This record gives sequence, C-alpha cells and structure tokens, in this order.
Amino acid sequence: MSDRWRRIEPVARRLWAPFALCSLLVVTWWLLDDFGGEIYQAYGIRMFLNLMIVLALQIFSGNSGVLSFGHATFVAMGAYFSALLTIPPADKTFQFLTMPHWLRSWIFPAHLSALEAILAGAGFAMAIAALLAPPVVRLAGVQAGIATLAILVMDNVFNTQTTSITRGTSTLIAVPQTTTFVSLLVWALIFVGVAYMFKQSRFGLRLRATRENVRAARSVGVSVAKERAIAWILSGFVAGAAGALYGHWFVTFSPGDFYFNTNGIDLVILPIAMLVIGGMGSVTGAVVGCYVVTVVYTFFNRWEVDGFGGTVGTAPSGTANLVLAVTFLVVLFLRPRGLAGGAELTWPTDWRLPRFHLPGRARVSPLAGGASGAEPPVEVPERPASSVE
Amino acid sequence: MLLASASNVIQYITDSIYYGSFFALISLSLSLLFGVMGLMNFAYGELIMAGAYVMFYTRSWGWLAMIVMVVLIVTVLSLLMELVAFRPLRRAEPVVLLITSFAVSYGLEALGWMTVGTGPQKGVEPYPWLTKQSDVAGVLISKLEIVTWIVTVVLLVAMTLLIKRTSLGIQLRASTEDFRMAQLVGVRANWVISAAFGLTGLLASAVAVLYTFRSGAVAPDIGQGPLLVAFVGGVIGGLGSLAGAALGGFVLGVVLNVLQATLPLSINNHFQLFAFAAVIAILVFQPEGLIAVRTGFVRTWWRRLRPAAVQGASA
Repeated sequence: MSDRWRRIEPVARRLWAPFALCSLLVVTWWLLDDFGGEIYQAYGIRMFLNLMIVLALQIFSGNSGVLSFGHATFVAMGAYFSALLTIPPADKTFQFLTMPHWLRSWIFPAHLSALEAILAGAGFAMAIAALLAPPVVRLAGVQAGIATLAILVMDNVFNTQTTSITRGTSTLIAVPQTTTFVSLLVWALIFVGVAYMFKQSRFGLRLRATRENVRAARSVGVSVAKERAIAWILSGFVAGAAGALYGHWFVTFSPGDFYFNTNGIDLVILPIAMLVIGGMGSVTGAVVGCYVVTVVYTFFNRWEVDGFGGTVGTAPSGTANLVLAVTFLVVLFLRPRGLAGGAELTWPTDWRLPRFHLPGRARVSPLAGGASGAEPPVEVPERPASSVE
Repeated sequence: MLLASASNVIQYITDSIYYGSFFALISLSLSLLFGVMGLMNFAYGELIMAGAYVMFYTRSWGWLAMIVMVVLIVTVLSLLMELVAFRPLRRAEPVVLLITSFAVSYGLEALGWMTVGTGPQKGVEPYPWLTKQSDVAGVLISKLEIVTWIVTVVLLVAMTLLIKRTSLGIQLRASTEDFRMAQLVGVRANWVISAAFGLTGLLASAVAVLYTFRSGAVAPDIGQGPLLVAFVGGVIGGLGSLAGAALGGFVLGVVLNVLQATLPLSINNHFQLFAFAAVIAILVFQPEGLIAVRTGFVRTWWRRLRPAAVQGASA
C-alpha cells in the first residue's frame, strides 16, 4: 500500500457508504427510466417518495431510539402548504370559498415555482415540528409512540375538519405537476447525504449517545432534549419536502392519503415497516429496508392487479399488505435490529457473512444502535424504570 | 343550544352513560394487556372486526348461537395473536410490542379486505326488539342501551372480582407490578399472559356484539374508530391501572357525548384535536394518568392512617 492510499483510505471509508447508496439510487433510476415502462416507473416513484420519509424517520428515530408514528403529519403539512401556494389563483377561488380573509389575502395571489414551493412546504413542516418538539423530546419508549400517534390523529382531524383551508375530506385538485422522476432522484440523493452527514455530525453523535444510554450521555453534558429537538426538526423538514414532492407528483390528494390506509398504500405504517425491516440504526438500513419492502410489495401487488402482465389479478386484493405484515413480523423475530443490523454498508474488503439471531434469543431491540455485527447484542431491561425523561 | 327540560337532561345523561360504558369496556381491555406486559394493543380493533364478521356470517342462527360463536372465535383469535406474534417478543421493550401490534393490526386488516371485506357493503340487521326505543317518562331508551349498561357493569364487576379475589387475579396484579419478580415467585409467565389475552378476547367479543348491534354496518376497518377514543380515555385515566383506564374511557365517552349534544358542529368537529392534545400533555406531565394518580393518593392516605396494618403486612 502506498503512502498516498494510506492517507486517502480513512476518507474513502467514510464516504463509501453514502457513495454506494447514492450509486444504487442512480442505477435504480436509470434502469426504471429506460426499461421500467410506466407501471414500474410508478413503483419507482413511490419508492423514492417513501425513501425520503424513511430517511426522515431515520434521522429522528434511528439516531435517538425514540420511535415516531407521527411523521405522516409532516408529509401532509408539506403537501398541503406547498399545494396551497402553487395552485393557480383562478383554481383557488372556487376551491376555497370559505377561507378566512387573513389567509386568503396572501395565499390566493401566491404562485410559487417548483423549488420555492418544495422549500416552503418543507419549511412549514419544519415549523410545525418545532412547535411540537417540546413535548415530544421529553418522552421516550411507548409514551413517545402514543404521543406521536396522537399528533398523527390531531393532524388527521385538522385536515378533515378544517374545510375552509384543506377542503376537508374532498380532494385537493389542480396542483401543478412539477415533480419529475429525475427531481425525485435528486432530492433522494440529497437526503441520503443529509441523513448520513447528520448521523456523522457532532449532533448525530451526541444523539446516538443518548440512544445508547440516556444517563451516561447526560453525565457527560449532553442535553437530551436539545439533541432530540434538532433531529426532530430536521426530520420534519425532510418529511415535509417529501410531502411537497408527493403533492406535486400525484396532483390530487386528500387527508386519507396521510393516515392509516390499510386498503391501499399507507404512509404511516409502511415507512416504519421499511425502517424497522432495514434496521433503524443506519442510513444503509433505511435504504435497504425501503428497497426490500418495495420489491416484496411490488411483486405481490402486480400479482394482485394483473397477475404479471395478464389482464386479471390472480391474488386477492390485500395480499401485498398481508405479506408485508408477515415479513415485518418475521424480521422483528429473527433479526430485531433489521437486515442491515444497525451498521452502515461495510467497506468491500471487510465483507463477512451476515449473522442471524435465532428466535427465542431475540433480546436485541430494534431501537438499539450497534455499529458492527461483531459487537455483543445489547441487553434491554424489560421495563424501563422511568420511561419519561 | 340550551337545555330545554328535565326529560331532555335525563335523555343526555342516559345516552352519555351508554357511550361512556361502551368505551369503558374497551379501555379496560386495553389496560389489561398494558398492565401485564406493557403492550398497547392496536390489533384490538381487529378483534372487534373479527367479531363483527362472525356476527355477519352467523346472523341467521339466532342471537344466542351468534354470541357464543363470537365469543369463541374472538377469544381463540386473541390467544392465537399472542401465540404467533407476541410470544416470540416477550422480552422486547413496550415500544417494540407497539410496533408489533401495528404489524398484526395491519396484517389482520389486510386479511379482512382479502377475504370477507370484498363485495358489497355487509351488515348485520339489528333486531327490532333490541333497538326499538321506548318512551319512559319522556326519555327515549332502547333495550340495547340497557343491555350495554348491564353488560358493562356485569363485566366490570366480574373483572374486579376476578382481579381481587381469584388466584389468577393475584397473579395478574403481581405481573402488573413487577413481571420479573412475579416470575421469580412462581407465576408462570405463559399462563398469565395467555390468560390476559383470553380475557381481552372475551371483552372484545362483548364490545364487538354491542358495537355491531348499534351500528349495523360491518367493514374491515370498523374497529379503528372506537379503539382510538377508548385509547385516549385509557391514557387519560391511566393505562397502568384497570380501574383508572375504565373510568377514563367512561368519562371521555360521557364528555364526548355531552359535547356532541351541546356544542355547535364547527367546534365539535375539532374537539378531538383537544382530546389528543390532552393526551400528549398527560403523557408529559402525568404519565400515570389522572385517575390512577388519584387512587394512588387514596392508597397512600389509607396507609398513613393505618401504619400498623402496613407494618404488619411488610413484616
């Protein structure tokens, strides 16, 4: 090994994981764009949108170990806000007849460009996240799960009941279609970079320290609430951007799209399933989970819809969701830390065969981190002495 | 809207008690599992769904056979749920159990859409003698409301007796206090948790029957709505204690019904916003729940009054 390589290697090792993940995304995009046809491109687009939400979840939940069920809120906020600012003024007047004047005065004339709208949507979601941060960062474990779920329900109640602003349960229409497959790719690449950089940054490191041991982190001067708040707000931004892109791709949407939706495609459980299946602890896990779930889901969904190129589906509608739930459970049993095991993609010369945890001995928590497979599994207490921190 | 007359007030009260007791039943069953194993079971909604579909397919068998079938199938489903999904994760953290229950709920609902949920809207025709409202001194009461009260009260009393008086109850309470310690002194973990799931199934079948008779319609996602309300009530009351949760569910049901009758529609629609904001606030400031804290206070006060008894117990 030359001297020069010895100097470059640490940097290369550090950049290897995001580089490989980004290459994977580019190759996926390229294959789908050229050979996918309309049907598989649609799956690819959904996957990129889901990937952004999963990355948002990873930024918060993966690094803090606090699970959030409420990220669909930010997706919805991003989608609605950016849609409101981009729908042509003529279409707004008949869609929002009862909008109060103080909103009407600046929302009606607004007609932002694609990029401005996405940033506005993401910024708005970030502001909402900042507003919600104080209670959320004080909770952990099942309490945080319940609180974020409460946030999701509140969001759904607001979206369905505030008819004057969101059109209630009716569909929002005439959102300009500015999202393209390429733009989704670019945003996904950016967010892979953001998630990885955040994880490696001092904020990410401190947050991961709180995940491993709250008291130890506190004793060395880490403010748990502050670090969690930073990640929460950043992940709100990413999820909001995903929502804005969602709105500008699908053009029409309604509150039900951002809520539990078992009879269709669900933005609440699906990203969580992706993250947990892939492994919460790493960006690699987020990407791997997103790919695995999408491939499984697409396979069975095609079976449901047209029986692989036929005209009639040969599996009953709902099969894909059922298979997904079973996959989710199996991963939770056999590999509770997810397929990537909380580690980033290993440097090619260090590759080893993966190790699987056997059922019954599964005492590893999916919420725990863990850098490498060689590390002994972290024992978790059955019931935390105090779940509110 | 102003309260018009005395009979009107009584009408509100009876309706509210009816709603309240219905949600109390659900909150009670949620708190049973939460107390024993820290599981916030979202798949409970799918137990209600299963019960409703059993009622749909056995609707021509007569009500007694129907109810027997519901109890059987829902309880078996609840036990199966534990065996397949939650037993392998026994040692997992509560939040992992929460994720698991979401996965189970998602899978069962998908299964519902695949099998029984297809085709036209299904429904169970309510029995006229059950839902017919009769006028009692100006207050309209249906037999279903009376049945709901009675069932709730009977089940609450039965649960209380079971928890306080039987060996199983003692084991359940011990597991709620400290699961590992209970195991060390000879409580069999599998038995206690299976029993808790079995009881949950029994309560869920009662909820399913009462709910389906009221609403009539059957769909794979019918369990979600009542589950969310009961869950809020449970958190407000304190999911860690059975009585607290049941009382929380009851109070929330009553409050929701009273507000529905008195508030204008525009505010009423947003009321759930406040209910869920209250959930977050309670989780932050008073995670044990409001009512559980009260009863804890009473217990401490009682102990302070009777120091000798406490010393005798600890010696």
